[in-house]
Amino acid sequence: MTGSVETGQLELMKSIIDFNLQGAENKALARAAMIADTPKAKQLFAAQDRAGLLAEYLPVFKAQKEKYGVDQAQFHIPPATSFLRLHSPDKFGDDLTQFRPLVVTVNRDQVAGKGFAIARSGPAIFGVVPMFDANRKHIGSFEIGIAFAAILDNLKAAYGLELAVFIKESPLKEFATGIAPALFSDQNRLGEYIRYHSTNTDLIQSLVTDRDLNATSNSEYVREALGVPYGVVMVPLRNAAGDVLGIIAVAKDFSGSRSAQDRSKVWQILMALFAIVLLVGFVLIVIRGLLLRPLQALTAKFSQLADGDDSLQENPKLDNLCEELDALAQQYDRLRDSKGKP
Amino acid sequence: MKSWLLMAALLLSQAVLAIPDDNQQPAPDLTTLPLDKGLPVIVRVGVYYQSVTGFDENAGTFNSTVDLRLRWEDPRLHYPAGDTPRGFQEYRGPKADDKLKQIWSPGIAFTNMQDQPSYQVTNVRIFPNGWVELMQRTTAQFSLKVDAGNFPFDRQTLAVEVEIRKETTNEAALIFLQEDLDFSRSAQDIELDGWDTGLVRINRPTRPGWYGESHSALIIGLEVKRQAAQVIASVFIPLIASLLIPLVALWMNGMENGEFKVAAFILANVIVGGLFTVIALNFTINSAYTLIASGDNTVTRLFNLNYVTLGLVLLIVILMYRFNLLKRLFGEYVQEESFLFLLWALPVLAFGTAGAFIAVAAVG
Repeated sequence: MTGSVETGQLELMKSIIDFNLQGAENKALARAAMIADTPKAKQLFAAQDRAGLLAEYLPVFKAQKEKYGVDQAQFHIPPATSFLRLHSPDKFGDDLTQFRPLVVTVNRDQVAGKGFAIARSGPAIFGVVPMFDANRKHIGSFEIGIAFAAILDNLKAAYGLELAVFIKESPLKEFATGIAPALFSDQNRLGEYIRYHSTNTDLIQSLVTDRDLNATSNSEYVREALGVPYGVVMVPLRNAAGDVLGIIAVAKDFSGSRSAQDRSKVWQILMALFAIVLLVGFVLIVIRGLLLRPLQALTAKFSQLADGDDSLQENPKLDNLCEELDALAQQYDRLRDSKGKP
Repeated sequence: MKSWLLMAALLLSQAVLAIPDDNQQPAPDLTTLPLDKGLPVIVRVGVYYQSVTGFDENAGTFNSTVDLRLRWEDPRLHYPAGDTPRGFQEYRGPKADDKLKQIWSPGIAFTNMQDQPSYQVTNVRIFPNGWVELMQRTTAQFSLKVDAGNFPFDRQTLAVEVEIRKETTNEAALIFLQEDLDFSRSAQDIELDGWDTGLVRINRPTRPGWYGESHSALIIGLEVKRQAAQVIASVFIPLIASLLIPLVALWMNGMENGEFKVAAFILANVIVGGLFTVIALNFTINSAYTLIASGDNTVTRLFNLNYVTLGLVLLIVILMYRFNLLKRLFGEYVQEESFLFLLWALPVLAFGTAGAFIAVAAVG
């Protein structure tokens, strides 16, 4: 159970991820559109000039990769056949229809699309635009993929979040044949997921288990790791078909809010203790001191009077009685005085 | 004659050689910012805590030997991989200092270092792909801001603060990635008397510069947690025990037929004695821990509680025991019930408050 402050923080973390993933999609799409719209790209792609495209755009891709985290760039022939991978020029001609529904959709509908996908070279955020020749005839598509590492590292630097991206092992193995086999080590495996990238491996290992990744509900929780409470949010990554292929786990140090919450509880308990003690004191002093004890004393006097005690005249007068008890005491005085008369 | 002619020819040839060649390219200035990868130049930082000694919390300083590792890419320094069988060019000690004068390096300073380091040695490696790794081992005294708010359950961060002073954040930025986190830890055998060492944490603040600019900085801190058990025995037991003095003054009295049995001045003497005890304890603790002598922390709160309790009981002694104020105003039964109530209520509230102060520090 978390307080409203922590709930707000968890929602904010989720919003940050959603916003930045959308931002990455838009950046990928904008870059793809910029290249796809150049006359040279249209001309070379329409002529199926692979060498020409490589000569023209490989330096551009390298600069984008080094500076801005652009990981993949690829030209496709409809419906979804790789024509040229700028990030891996030697591999082309393979059919992508099975695992790249976004590319199929863009080429079918001839409308730009964006989203998460697992490509041959690994998972990334893609922007795919249809390409047309000079006569507006559809000739294929072009995509830009932005690497998760760049997005996650920037988020950590900007917001102090710790992040990790987990990808389902079976599609990753099946589709991303170009990634390093060392990634599929036991150290990176959590149930059916593989930890693809992490900003703090030790911490994420303590915070995220395979059960958390497989849980269909409760995508937010607070858990202690290395003596510090962390808020964790799971953000699913879906492909164009809507299948969950991965999860981004986001963690934030909640020790500040958690200790504030605990401090607040301690102060509340102390205030309650003060309130109870003072209330009990008020009741005891008022009821016992002003009512019960004087009544007890008066009862004793009446009792003495009834027993015909000789020392009646020596009993001191009761002072500071409330109005009702004072009336009773006066009655006692009258009775005592009348009894004392011969 | 021949020798004269020979001499003249030699001088002429030297003069010809001395004439600068207009077509020759001047050597590139490698000390400027590397712009080939765009700005800002990304400088990756890691800090390894080799040793930590002499943490003086009262002075707010600690002595440490740290390895600072900086990595950046300068494509102008590319060279064929076959040139170095080891896979990198390496410069140690004075040679490294000389090399750093010939290439660009981030003008990094330890902003919280006190005086000059007692030891500092630098190592530079340049890799064929243009990556530069600067490793610097520094033994020095560093300052830190000690927050004693949660004393004795406090955690402190023994941090070194590095900042790029020469370049702004638009020109060079300090970052840390997974590899740098893996490097940033403390040696296994680090032991600090009275403290448990924890993780190394990195924060990334920015420092204001001129004209609205800022400078990139990193705070790489080793977390340490105070071993509270040692302090509880020496500080908290006397503080809690001194809280009993005014309560004893309250408990010593009794009532018989509506009258107090012990004379007020005897109890007032006990309270005044308690006051001097608390003052002496205050002086002793403040001498040992100047850090907690001022400000808001558990110890100052407990001292304040002691003074407040002494004051309250003194008030009770004077008003109730000496002048019978409640009896005069509301009668003897109210005074008697109030006395019986105070006998348990005041200790409950005093120790409850003391417990809350300690609990707040423990959870904080």
